[in-house]
Amino acid sequence: MTKIQINGREVEADPKQPLIRACHDQGVDVPMYCYHPGLASVGSCRICQVEVAGAPGQPSRVVAACRTPVSKGMVVSTDTPKAHDARRECLEFLLKNHPLDCPICDKAGECDLQDYSFNEGQGEGRSSEPRRKLQKRKSLGDVIVLDEERCILCSRCVRFFTDVTKKAQLTVEGLGSRSVINTYMDKPLEGNYQGNLADICPVGALTSKKFRFQARVWNLSKTLSTCGECSRGCSISVESLRAKEVKRIRPRYNAAVNQWWMCDTGRHALAPLTRPQAPEGAVLGGRLRGAAVRGYNGLELADDVAALDLAADMLAAHPGAVVIVSPFATQEEAKAALALAQALKATPQFVSPAPNALKDDLLHTGDPCPNRRGLVEQGFAALEPAAALAALAAAPSAVLAGERVLELLGHEGLAKLPTKLRLVAFDVETSDIPALDIAFPVPTHVEKSGHWVNLDGCVGVLNVAVPPPALVRRLDLQLAALTAKLSAVPARS
Amino acid sequence: MVVVQRKALTLAERLYLPEVLRGLSLTFRKFFEKPITRQYPEQPLPTDEVTRGQPRLVVKEDGNIACVSCGMCEIACPAYAITIDGGETDRGIEREPKKFEIDMLRCILCGFCEEACPKDAIFMSNELELADYTRAGLVYDLEKLKRPKSALQKRIDYVYRLNDRWRSKQ
Repeated sequence: MTKIQINGREVEADPKQPLIRACHDQGVDVPMYCYHPGLASVGSCRICQVEVAGAPGQPSRVVAACRTPVSKGMVVSTDTPKAHDARRECLEFLLKNHPLDCPICDKAGECDLQDYSFNEGQGEGRSSEPRRKLQKRKSLGDVIVLDEERCILCSRCVRFFTDVTKKAQLTVEGLGSRSVINTYMDKPLEGNYQGNLADICPVGALTSKKFRFQARVWNLSKTLSTCGECSRGCSISVESLRAKEVKRIRPRYNAAVNQWWMCDTGRHALAPLTRPQAPEGAVLGGRLRGAAVRGYNGLELADDVAALDLAADMLAAHPGAVVIVSPFATQEEAKAALALAQALKATPQFVSPAPNALKDDLLHTGDPCPNRRGLVEQGFAALEPAAALAALAAAPSAVLAGERVLELLGHEGLAKLPTKLRLVAFDVETSDIPALDIAFPVPTHVEKSGHWVNLDGCVGVLNVAVPPPALVRRLDLQLAALTAKLSAVPARS
Repeated sequence: MVVVQRKALTLAERLYLPEVLRGLSLTFRKFFEKPITRQYPEQPLPTDEVTRGQPRLVVKEDGNIACVSCGMCEIACPAYAITIDGGETDRGIEREPKKFEIDMLRCILCGFCEEACPKDAIFMSNELELADYTRAGLVYDLEKLKRPKSALQKRIDYVYRLNDRWRSKQ
């Protein structure tokens, strides 16, 4: 560590880091467009210019903080007229060709260019020349759309592919004022990490096709959460509109797990979270609206307390139950399921589907069980879907609990189970399973709080981003209620 | 203690009838004057460009809505009356509202939306009447809010004049 002075304050700084990092670590705001802590710095935008005092008798210099290493005894000022002037002049050139698109731009509200223009820039342009006219809607594959006019050529996107995914796909094409971002040979982008481009783009040049014009970002409420698409458990921010619908999922910086990035599989996994409810009064065709009990006409909605009583009676009358939870079960739900398994004298197990082909060497582990490690640590045994179905077919009764447990076991396989099996399921949605006797609704993982343990043992937190539908209670409370009822039911001889 | 001395009545006042006739003379005089009351709703209120009636959305001469669903009016609205959902369009402007609702029961006719709009797409019309049998019927959707630009032209010119005056003072 080296001693330097930032804005008159003596601070310790890491000489291996660029000066901008030392400023940010001290809470001194230095604007940046091309610099990103996760990427190599190139110093192309010059917005991070700060004033550094020269040697005695020499005038001070204005330097780009992202390309200047920290050196001993440096005297840095970010707030002097000289530094402000340098940044303002730089900003004027960046804005020279930037269209006044803010009303239609998806980035508006979280745009660095907008923020710094507001802080440092001037209100009106002085140039009488027309702005560059370029392509406004250039598709770069399935995920990203490029607006060439808005681009300030910071080349963060280019470096994302060279530095992070290690497979260069983008380049700056053309020279001078004719430069534009393009893919090699106009090929569409590929790979599972394209969505990050929309996050790292400091302006609205690269935007996500899925989120395009879906919501204004200041209307989104952001909830800290964890991604459930693989056992990596990336830290995410779940962004929902009017407390109703999840509109976007974005990565959140976590040095131990995902740093700044996340894969597109997790980013676009909105379908299971925005599933519509079943029609009024119906059980199938959408999310379960309430407890359902099998009657003469198949599954019918029922009172949840009565259904829980019925489930307890049924399980007590048919001892030897199998307890299988979903790999999406949180630590809290797993604990409640463990107590239930003890009450039923069953081995706690969880469905462990086969690894998928999405595994890569960056983040995705290919294992679709977000809480595998947590469940194994609590004493749950992993069970392949085929083995689970075989165990269910042989069992007198069974409890399946957790989000998407039926889906992961396979609806076709469940539909073939013998009807003599007494089956109680806790899931978001059910299909027409003849063996299913009682079903209870559960919240999805953006509708509950809890914890998952990822493959490295890092605990990921889940928070309520959108409230669950009415009559949908927390799974751990439902399981605890069932356990309590079972202990109260006298064993039948 | 204040002692109020009662005024002694004159003879004419004590006779009562002359005073009644004096009062009635005013009443009868008014019979022959122009009435100052208005037979609303047969005779509607006079409005001009300064009237801040209900906000309406401008439909441009080419038939397209001027709004790009940027959400400025939504965030400026102090009564939370406006709800907008944007979407993509094939037009050059790329973005247009798919849902634009103003809850007229919430709207306080303050005109902030008009002031916030960067696209000259929402203006306070001279429409002031508001009646329905349900609350839901008073949540106006895109179809109920659209007005041709010509219908709002007087107000648009007025707002432009105001803005020019504000600019010249800078």
